[in-house]
Amino acid sequence: MMRERRVLSPYTKSVLHYIALTIVSVIWLIPVYAMIINGFKSNLEVASSPVLVPPSHPTLSPYMAVAHVLETPIINSLIVAVIASLLSTILGSMGAYFFYVLSNSYFRGSGMLSNFLFSLIALGTFIPYEATLIPLTRFIVDINLLNSYPGLIVSMLIFYIPTAALLMSLFVTVVPKSLIEAARLDGAGDVKIFFKVILPLVIPGFISTLIFIIIESWNNFFLPLVLTTTPSMRLVPVAVEAYTGGYGTLYNETFAVATLASLIPLIIFIFLGRYFIRGLVALGGAGKGV
Amino acid sequence: MKKTSFLLILPTAIFGAILLYIVFYNVAISFTNWSLLHPIPSFSGISSYANVIHSFYFPTSLIHSLELSGSAVIFGNILGIGIAGLLYFLSSNKARTFFLSIIILPLAISMAVNALIWLWLYNYNLGVNWLFLRLGLPYVPWLTSTSMMMPSIIIIAIWAYTGLPALFYLASFLGIDKSIIEAARLDGASSFKILRKILIPNSANGFIVSTALLFLFTFRIFSIPYILSGGPTNIFMQTLVVFSYYLFTTEFFAQASALSTIIILIATAIVIPYALYGIKRWIKK
Repeated sequence: MMRERRVLSPYTKSVLHYIALTIVSVIWLIPVYAMIINGFKSNLEVASSPVLVPPSHPTLSPYMAVAHVLETPIINSLIVAVIASLLSTILGSMGAYFFYVLSNSYFRGSGMLSNFLFSLIALGTFIPYEATLIPLTRFIVDINLLNSYPGLIVSMLIFYIPTAALLMSLFVTVVPKSLIEAARLDGAGDVKIFFKVILPLVIPGFISTLIFIIIESWNNFFLPLVLTTTPSMRLVPVAVEAYTGGYGTLYNETFAVATLASLIPLIIFIFLGRYFIRGLVALGGAGKGV
Repeated sequence: MKKTSFLLILPTAIFGAILLYIVFYNVAISFTNWSLLHPIPSFSGISSYANVIHSFYFPTSLIHSLELSGSAVIFGNILGIGIAGLLYFLSSNKARTFFLSIIILPLAISMAVNALIWLWLYNYNLGVNWLFLRLGLPYVPWLTSTSMMMPSIIIIAIWAYTGLPALFYLASFLGIDKSIIEAARLDGASSFKILRKILIPNSANGFIVSTALLFLFTFRIFSIPYILSGGPTNIFMQTLVVFSYYLFTTEFFAQASALSTIIILIATAIVIPYALYGIKRWIKK
């Protein structure tokens, strides 16, 4: 099989390789680039300036103009996303450890129970939220939590506890069985083993799951759209939607809003991106590699 | 396993039960005639399903949803394999993580924000058309022509979600025994040939995960058509989930629930086999 065709030097190949990746990356970054530069354009410039051209005289005025609009939504989103993701990750991790215990115990119906529960958490993770709209709204109204932080948090827990259980059930598999058996011989119950033995060992997976759910809940548009009724309760993605405004408006403020709304997920992504990526990998059931 | 072990699953089970309650509540509503005209619901069999399926909007929104998810699956897989291939053959781990992060970055940004950015990128005069003009390409009537509306949405979805297949194919590729690839290299096989003959045929798992997730995530995209068309009423951008929201806002509650049940059935048909055969086998080990 020693066929030699066009022979490119390894150096040329490597250069072409990087050029190809750079082209893909540049195309992929165009929207992010547009988002960041256009918030710095003045009202005067924006009327004629194409979206991909950087500002000639950068100004902070669009950011000043929109900052107060996003102030409340950002605080709301922080409260909801942080509480919902912490609760989801802790409670979901407990569920994940239960799956681990269940898959190593053999009693009548354990296999069926495990399959049923696992299907349920997968459904919670991937179900189109929109399709739960009417009963979900009714449920939140019935428990008197419409348009409140607890209402938003409860609605998110319905979808994100399953997500956390799904992701964590992959991270928990790395814990060796012998450790659990040793703890059991010492007389510890599974709840205690979870907090004392398992949780400390799966901290990287725990952080990945937490980061993944913070970003998902921060970016969730549909749940706050239908479960909040007053502007003061709005979360960031819904507040952003008010800035679509049509093409008649000036776009610099639109982009300033987009940048401010993305600031927290972007900062998390830049500094803790590898955890987010590991969370995504777990979502696909492939805990190894990357 | 002790009785107290069941305490661990209690929170997940409670919220899982709420989810099931919501799903079945939805099915129950779908068999009524609840709407603005019938504020007190009464049982009406499958009439809501019949009404929804025979409505003018159902076939168009179904086709739009399938177009969106189908295109995302096809192009996502192709681009994902291409990008993962480019990343796999990088010798530097740092460079690999760097480029991979750029492709995944859109997943960290809210779809509502993505929609806002693309709304302007699709502007006829000021958006990417400006760049096209300079590259000698024709202007594209992105959101101004009805036939370009779905393709415009599909492009955003591909941009947003290609990070997933790129990641999963890369994970599959990296999981393949290095010695096989070294042996092929010694035989003089090119990188492209290694990709085609060794990496891709051994990435069944990457394919299953990428396809399932691309379908499920794009099937529930709501904010992009909602924001690009300024609401749920533009029929040229109406997908199933947008149509069901439209039925809700116009207070056809039973019909909205009937459509939601159809949506949940389609999603479940993919989620459960995927969960039990795609993901769960990893946990058994």
